[in-house]
Amino acid sequence: MSKIKYHPDTMTLIEFSAGVLPPAVAICVAAHVHYCDQCRNELLRLDQVASQLMKSSGSTEISVDLFKRVEEAIDKIPEDTFNETFSPAEGNFPPIVSKLMQGNLQSQSWKKMSSSVEKATLKTGQSEYEVALHKICAGGKTPKHGHGGKEYTVVLKGSFSDEMSVYSEGDFLLREDGEEHQPTGAQNGECICLSALQAPIKLSNPFGFLMKPWLRINPI
Amino acid sequence: MFQSKFKSKKNEPMSNKPLRSEKRSDKWTLLLVAVGESRDRKAFAELFDHFAPLLKSFAQASKHEGWFPGLSEDLVQEVMIKVWQKAGGFNPEKASATTWIYTVARNCRIDMLRRKSNTQHLPLENEDFWHEPDEDTPVSLLRQARSEVKVQASLLDLPKEQDEILRKVYLEGKSHAEVSNELGLPLGTVKSRVRLALQKMQVLVAPEYRDELV
Repeated sequence: MSKIKYHPDTMTLIEFSAGVLPPAVAICVAAHVHYCDQCRNELLRLDQVASQLMKSSGSTEISVDLFKRVEEAIDKIPEDTFNETFSPAEGNFPPIVSKLMQGNLQSQSWKKMSSSVEKATLKTGQSEYEVALHKICAGGKTPKHGHGGKEYTVVLKGSFSDEMSVYSEGDFLLREDGEEHQPTGAQNGECICLSALQAPIKLSNPFGFLMKPWLRINPI
Repeated sequence: MFQSKFKSKKNEPMSNKPLRSEKRSDKWTLLLVAVGESRDRKAFAELFDHFAPLLKSFAQASKHEGWFPGLSEDLVQEVMIKVWQKAGGFNPEKASATTWIYTVARNCRIDMLRRKSNTQHLPLENEDFWHEPDEDTPVSLLRQARSEVKVQASLLDLPKEQDEILRKVYLEGKSHAEVSNELGLPLGTVKSRVRLALQKMQVLVAPEYRDELV
């Protein structure tokens, strides 16, 4: 049975099911769903609703030659591309994260954020959010910090804690703009998280040049 | 076994047909399994016959920025090619053909919009987002998934304002914030109508049930 304690809220699952979430947030939800039976099933029910809405909205006549075009296209697909599987980049990492990593943990370009935290930005082809992996070393403390926008986090490996709770594999967290936190890695091993950090609309801090690396984000 | 009605039907005008019964919807699931297991072209033609016109309506309902009606058949084509390609991974115990094909269509629509709007291409495809329930998913949870007929019946019972919002989110592809802007309703009202609709349809797991799982 699932030990996951923190889930996306229902509205987020609904927007995921409808396909209207920003891609970076959808990546985080998909990563959580990889670990979470409960949300996976909630999504199945939401997708059922969506499919019935689709069905009840009627039929539209299609072009006479459309089936022929589809048949021509499928004749060109090589058989061996059916049912491709993707092996996890690391441990029980979600396929979506493994795909974005395009390699293993070692092959990512890690940048030091502080003595105990490293960050590797993932290329996602959108600029609303910076999507990255964060690595907190065992027992590592991060300085107390906030961000200039929403921050979504999914724990991929190990666990970390903050002032409020302990977060383990599969847990999904949302910190709103301006909420401060101080994550600390668990003593028994390093913690790897997926995060999506919203690009701030504007920075009002006149001492921007002194900004901590936490506020400098670089969506790619 | 599977008689394709494709040839006789394709020239007939399509109209809003009455909702199908459970047995009929079962049929599509069997056809999809046949496509996955034995690359059955006749079964595929029947699926195409049934789903292509529905998918076209779905495509035309889209109100996404950058979407135009001319893309509708491109979407139908792309979805049906994916259906052929991915049918081997379809598991009828977990989802019906209608639900599975909806998810393919939703994801194809997102992919097409991204390809149109971005110079950069998100290095992900539709199936990267779609998760089927795993083998180890507790049966008690799967039982919670309601039969399509019940979902369909409860949709018909929804008050108009709740039905309208669900359609805007799922068919037109609008976020709650966009629906709130369009209808001039507070975001909280939009969210609570969506929640009420899904609670009424008994789609959302009751909070007390969720707690049992922790």
